[in-house]
Amino acid sequence: MAAPLTLLLIVAVTIRAVLFRSSLAELISARVEVVSPLNAWKRVVEGLALLDLGVSPYSGDVFHETPLMIYLFHFTVDYAEIVFIVSAYFVDCLSCFLKPLDRAKMAINSNYLKSDLLFNFPGCCELISWFITIIVCLCFCKFHFLCTCKYTDVRLCHQIADGITALALYLSIQTYNKDVFRKQKYALESDRYSADCLELLRSPKEMFYIPLKVAMFYLLNPFTILSCVAKSTCGLNNAIIALFIFCTLKGSALLSGILLALATYQSIYPLTLFAPALLFFLQRLYIPVNLRRSSFWFFTLQYAFMYVGSLVVITGLSFFLLGSWDFIPSVYGFIFSVPDLTPNIGLFWYFFAEMFEHFRLFFSCVFQINVFFYTIPLSIKLKEHPVFLIFMQIAIISIFKSYPTVGDVALYMAFLPAWSHLYRFLRNIFLVSCVLLACSALFPVLWHLWIYAGSANSNFYYAITLLFNFGQILLVADYFYAYLRREHHLTHGLYLKKKDGTEATLVLK
Amino acid sequence: MDYYNLLTTCAFIHLLVSIPYAYSNYVENKAGQFFSSGHTNNWAVLVCTSRFWFNYRHVANTLSVYRSVKRLGIPDSHIVLMLADDMACNYRNPKPATVFSHKNMELNVYGDDVEVDYRGYEVTVENFLRVLTGRLPPSTPRSKRLLSDDRSNILIYLTGHGGNGFLKFQDSEEISNMELADAFEQMWQKRRYNELLFIIDTCQGASMYERFYSPNLMALASSQVGEDSLSHQPDLAIGVHLMDKYTFYLLEFLEEVHPASQANMNDLFKVCPQSQCVSTPGHRTDLFQRNPGSVLITDFFGSVLLHDMKQLVADVSSQKPKQKDWHPPDGFILGLWTLILLVFFQTYGIKHLKHIF
Repeated sequence: MAAPLTLLLIVAVTIRAVLFRSSLAELISARVEVVSPLNAWKRVVEGLALLDLGVSPYSGDVFHETPLMIYLFHFTVDYAEIVFIVSAYFVDCLSCFLKPLDRAKMAINSNYLKSDLLFNFPGCCELISWFITIIVCLCFCKFHFLCTCKYTDVRLCHQIADGITALALYLSIQTYNKDVFRKQKYALESDRYSADCLELLRSPKEMFYIPLKVAMFYLLNPFTILSCVAKSTCGLNNAIIALFIFCTLKGSALLSGILLALATYQSIYPLTLFAPALLFFLQRLYIPVNLRRSSFWFFTLQYAFMYVGSLVVITGLSFFLLGSWDFIPSVYGFIFSVPDLTPNIGLFWYFFAEMFEHFRLFFSCVFQINVFFYTIPLSIKLKEHPVFLIFMQIAIISIFKSYPTVGDVALYMAFLPAWSHLYRFLRNIFLVSCVLLACSALFPVLWHLWIYAGSANSNFYYAITLLFNFGQILLVADYFYAYLRREHHLTHGLYLKKKDGTEATLVLK
Repeated sequence: MDYYNLLTTCAFIHLLVSIPYAYSNYVENKAGQFFSSGHTNNWAVLVCTSRFWFNYRHVANTLSVYRSVKRLGIPDSHIVLMLADDMACNYRNPKPATVFSHKNMELNVYGDDVEVDYRGYEVTVENFLRVLTGRLPPSTPRSKRLLSDDRSNILIYLTGHGGNGFLKFQDSEEISNMELADAFEQMWQKRRYNELLFIIDTCQGASMYERFYSPNLMALASSQVGEDSLSHQPDLAIGVHLMDKYTFYLLEFLEEVHPASQANMNDLFKVCPQSQCVSTPGHRTDLFQRNPGSVLITDFFGSVLLHDMKQLVADVSSQKPKQKDWHPPDGFILGLWTLILLVFFQTYGIKHLKHIF
């Protein structure tokens, strides 16, 4: 599957490169649906410029990125060439040497002879391919930097972030599919499924192309392309969340804790992903989710300790970068108190624009609780299906967060091919797709009418925002219904009958 | 021996006693010279008449003179600075909030204490003439007025695009040399200056002072009629020319001047000969009553007050702030990469490496 994936990556990079060179890049970077005050590239440049002049980048309401982002971009922008060449070198070395490492790990775990391990050293072919790839990467990077000037070099950084996200999603869905198939096999063997639900079972044949479809849905999604061309840091946030999902599905609790801490550090909302990750690990380690058992609490505390510990370490590191706690009110205070009311595709700006100051605290609490509120009930309902819970949580975050952009929407939309087996149970496909398409088209139109032509007002734009979010909520609820319905049918049979023998219908209560 | 001792003691005592007299003579001479120039306060009107990114050098010119004038003692309240001020925050500026005058970005003349009095579209011929003649509406704030009196020495510096007998303002209007001469005559009639130094750095700049007819005017221009003033060096990172040749060498000359310096106008006339400037700088002193050799640079460029003379200030702190790039602290880099390495080895297990190598 490497070849189609590589082809997909090349196509995606080409599309983005073409758009970067056209005049649309400037236009897209200024669209409010694509960039928000939290992740606009313009603001990153401002912050870096302020830093170079010796002023704290958080002074004035301009820059709302975390200090590690400052470090990343400062590092990238100044040493862009070296960074990319060296990182290409490292990735190459890793891919060349890690395979033997993995094999060695497996070999040790299964007690092979030590002499067998000698064959795990990177072979001749691998070394040659490593060498060739290095040369190719060097030439590519040099060529790229010859044609660009300084501040636009980070376009490559955003494209790489998109590539990393796609790759991480691809690999995680691959792992997930293997997991799903394995569980299905066990369930069939233990007769937990009813007799007439053969059509609902999943086969490897239909699941074969799903990872590729997931990567495609992410890379070729117009929302992602827009977000990448606008150079918004949403792409990097998505990459961190995708890597987190990958590490969780691979089973590495430490890495998953660290990446979740990094994602939470970027914007606080991924905190809600702690619950599904925890549920996944408990399931994997066969620890029952029972509040009275000590093994449950033991693992929960371990994972929570890793998560909170890495969060503390990362926050401490950020303090040492700039020497002050300025970033906490600028980043987290900004996310929670929503002072900037530029219109976006979210629900906050209109309410807060027309609200009296007296009620501001109350309403901001209410709106923020809305994001975190659905975690516990959904976790209880979706105890055995943590990956679906991750999908739902990401969707809820991107609908209800304080400054959503289309990049956030693109992340959960990438998961949709993984649930393509639910097609027969989805009820609102036509409605949802029409609403989402129409709203995406109407956003720029009504913005133009409101701001430039002056013949509409903010109510028009807000109506479309509301409709867009309604469409998203409907999409998520639909998938939720379909998933639960399929689970119900698996255990209770496809053709349901009421007690007196007539056909029954299933209702989600 | 005794006689010799007595003689030396007497000479010594005589010297001791005479030193304060010599000093006071020196001070009196200085004071005399000070009062002979006739001014008690200094003003500067610095105008850049161009806008748009490719006229970066005119803004850098004006700001360099502004900096020198401020450094030599004229306070912001006595400087009327007129700029289009669209360079520092121009979206084409790769180093925002800076205007450089030397390539390799050695000297940021914009700094963080520049006070522009007329910015953007306020730099018009009408505003300029109103500032000079003082005929401003009563609501104009003090910072926008030239509140000079008959004991003021005024420095007027103009830069931009000009031609034979005119100077272009903001690409939309012109001021002619006759208008300027009439404005200066109005100033003389209203006793708004004691002596006036007029410096212009444009193409065919000498044409602008041809028509002056009021007394106590001295004028310098960067080029003669029929010649163009050339720009100095482009900066490849910024992409435009940073300064004009004449003002560049003028700035270099002024960097050597400190408040107690005795450099006079003859040295100023020698700034930027044709070998360096390609154009021939010109000057006009026939309307000036004093001998240019006795006119100090600090009479116009600085604000030397009487009490300063007693101290004979000699310390020069000509700062050339180096543009420093921010670097993250070393401890942070160390900590971050150590953590990354730790996590890497934790995940992949260091004992596995031992088995391979």
